[in-house]
Amino acid sequence: MLDTLEKVINKISISSKDFVDIRYAYAMGESFTVRNGRFDSVSNQTTGGVAIRALIDNAWGFTTIVNIDEESILKSAEKAIRIAKIGSKFAKQDRMIKDDWVFEGKGGTKLEIDPREIDKETKFEKIAQTEKAAREFSDRIAETSSTYRESHSKEFIVNNKGTTVENENHVVRIMKNVVAREGTEMQSVFDSIGGAGGWELIQKWEPEKEGLKAAELGLKLLSARKPPSGLMNVIMDPSLTGVFVHEAFGHACEADAVIAKQSVLEGKIDNRVGVEEINVYDDPTLPSLRGSFDYDSEGTKARKRTLVEKGILKEYFHTLETASALNMEPNGSGRAMNFNFTPLARMGNTYVDSGDKSLEEIAELTKEGVYLKNSYGGYVMPAKGQFYFSCQLGYIIENGEITDMIGNVGMSGMTLEVFENTYAVGKKWEPEFLGTCGKQGQGIPVTAGGPDLGVSNIVIGGSQ
Amino acid sequence: MSTEINLHELAEKVIKLGLSLGADQVEAYTIYGAARNVQLERGSIRRFTDIANSGLGVRIIKDRAIGMASTTIFSLESIENTVKNAYSLAKVSPPDENFNSLPEDKRSTPDIDGCFDQNIIDLSVEDFTEMILEGVQEAQVRDDSIIGGSFTTGNGERFIINSQGIDRFSKQTSISGYLSVKLQDGDDIGNAYYFDSSEVLGNFDHLKVGKEAGKRALNMLGSQKIESATLPILLDPDSCMGTISPIISSGINAFNVFNRTAYFVDKIGDAIASEKLTITDDPFYPGGVDSSAFDDEGVIPQKLNLVKDGILTTYITDSYTAPLVGLENTGHASRGSFAARPKPSTYSLDINAGETAKDTLLEDLKEGILLIGSSITDMSGNPQISAQINQGFYVKDGEVQYPVKNAMIGTTVFEVLERIEDFSKEQQNRHGHKSPWMLLSPLQVSGGK
Repeated sequence: MLDTLEKVINKISISSKDFVDIRYAYAMGESFTVRNGRFDSVSNQTTGGVAIRALIDNAWGFTTIVNIDEESILKSAEKAIRIAKIGSKFAKQDRMIKDDWVFEGKGGTKLEIDPREIDKETKFEKIAQTEKAAREFSDRIAETSSTYRESHSKEFIVNNKGTTVENENHVVRIMKNVVAREGTEMQSVFDSIGGAGGWELIQKWEPEKEGLKAAELGLKLLSARKPPSGLMNVIMDPSLTGVFVHEAFGHACEADAVIAKQSVLEGKIDNRVGVEEINVYDDPTLPSLRGSFDYDSEGTKARKRTLVEKGILKEYFHTLETASALNMEPNGSGRAMNFNFTPLARMGNTYVDSGDKSLEEIAELTKEGVYLKNSYGGYVMPAKGQFYFSCQLGYIIENGEITDMIGNVGMSGMTLEVFENTYAVGKKWEPEFLGTCGKQGQGIPVTAGGPDLGVSNIVIGGSQ
Repeated sequence: MSTEINLHELAEKVIKLGLSLGADQVEAYTIYGAARNVQLERGSIRRFTDIANSGLGVRIIKDRAIGMASTTIFSLESIENTVKNAYSLAKVSPPDENFNSLPEDKRSTPDIDGCFDQNIIDLSVEDFTEMILEGVQEAQVRDDSIIGGSFTTGNGERFIINSQGIDRFSKQTSISGYLSVKLQDGDDIGNAYYFDSSEVLGNFDHLKVGKEAGKRALNMLGSQKIESATLPILLDPDSCMGTISPIISSGINAFNVFNRTAYFVDKIGDAIASEKLTITDDPFYPGGVDSSAFDDEGVIPQKLNLVKDGILTTYITDSYTAPLVGLENTGHASRGSFAARPKPSTYSLDINAGETAKDTLLEDLKEGILLIGSSITDMSGNPQISAQINQGFYVKDGEVQYPVKNAMIGTTVFEVLERIEDFSKEQQNRHGHKSPWMLLSPLQVSGGK
């Protein structure tokens, strides 16, 4: 395939200051869900096509095509150039991509056990046993489901600066979801494992144990205390620390948002954004996590990013365009969901690094407040720096002790205040938040995490 | 047929191949279209996009087991592989005893006006851009306004064919877009956006998109943290629709009812809300952005009264769920994408208006919160709601005082419906989605002060 793309790129005649890249992306996936004892969805998905970007005189043109013959791709490339030229008549900002960054290579997720070699019955069994164990636990368990997913994708990328890259990604995941119900009171429990890799990442999932664990927690939550409301001290567990560092802080570190003046971290490189104990990294080169990869969708080699060091902001997430615009180095953050989308500045595996406090020590420092656990996800308004996250459960902290369990609740705060208001950082960071990050309609696999984090002045949205 | 590929022939091939492999029933769902997008950054054009938007979804039933497969690649080889994949999955899947049959519906397809506009297809890139820049001009409420946004036109054709005789075709166009405006005075940030969409070019108000985004950003300057309190909430029509619609759609969806996760299980005929609430669902609203002559299984839907004076009157169903809840198929099957299995979902909700003027609702508010384009919803799917106030204002003695910062509302879906105190007589109509202003009696508000 690379040969075809190279032939097309060599036929394109544009000024050397302009930019064109061609990316062929193909993906195959399978997804199985069992719900309340029945196979609810058993499906196979294939997507494939070619994406062409042209940056001509400060404007982008982007086209996609599902035909992969040389002539069709060339025609589509010419169209991308043509619409970019129209855009350039209206463009007011300077845009270019430097000649300095050329990548050649081949990368891919390491597979110990290729999940495509595992028969479907074995996959069905994993989810069916998980779901059954949860369902049969109690008649107060209203709904139980378990899902298995795998996807295998390939990208071939060439550009007119000389980049030629081939990359493969393999992602697997197994999930469980339980809804416990008593009258109109409902509580949900969700958990999953998986990452970039093969069946070896799923093998450790013990279906019965996982099903029972979810059901037990669901029932406990039905009789949990109602969550409080108001401004308070909060301990965020590794999952919530992860969702904060991804959603609130990480998105504000994306250089396309910075350039668009839609980030509260604009102009803050080398400025203090948190207390000295805060160190934040994003590392797509960590093995086996959902956001692990070798090359991004622009063909840039991925590397570890140091976002915050000792409370000082050090780096943004860059595409080739944003690195050129801000005169910084690209760091392999240009990720695209599939051939029908352009690469955007995105995260991989983002985390707050470990500190030195045990959970008990953090609770003692907290005195009065809540300990929140297990994120459902959230959203953020990066321009305003305000975030909202939902969590599955928590505990009341009274007199420095973790006491009664509380049900699901939301929390809200200001991005720039959290790391400034951090009074304790836990001993061990965990990659607990496994997510699919959404941006401009594109969902990509990511992981986020951190240690337990003690933070003051968070708004909790309980009903009491 | 305007596309290079004959979708009908393709869909028929899928049915034939599926049956020849040994399938009991087969369904082919195909879409073929294109989307053009203009992306803005700091008030200027950043990118033009012209992409294919096509896909095939196949559902095969064998011995009551269901296998599904999908592809975006329309070559003969790919189509054949997709059918074979669906068949092999159906063969190895355990049977679903609740599955009866793919739907049959011999009624002819009704016509709905205003769902296709050639003007959208003929709109040149230059004219589209000029139009967007006019919107940007409206959004420029101050010289230092930071304006972003995205506008899209789309057109597509859809075929649904199954082995039980369903054979439907529709074509539609759409135009949609939003502008976001950010204003900054030191640490004080006013940030807002406005969105609109339509099936017809002439109904798309690009100037209003700009005007509203700019006006709302100005209004959001000077936000303050408030103390926690129990306060009445006044919701504008977008906030009202954004709050009520997900509660109803999820709460009366027969799939959720059967699985006991719906909010309103066994509640048909019971009061689920204040008697002020009456809602209908209209699939046939002319020019409605979510109108459709048939659902995503090819069944012709019905205009339904969902809630009448606070009493739940029905659930929404599709071919799979209707027998499970003992109701007729209401034709509400909906797929998130061509690759997904259909589940029931609403079309265009009409939340009935009240009799009080919206200005009176505000003037009579002694102390409360006014929500503009900010819904009371939660991500968990549970009845408990813990919602952030994205665009809210503190109101005292009938006057808006200032926007609130970092505040939340804690409640439940049941409480929201019970506490509907009044609706305005004015009703906003967003291309078929109709909603008035709504006043809720006091709810718990958590403040950041």
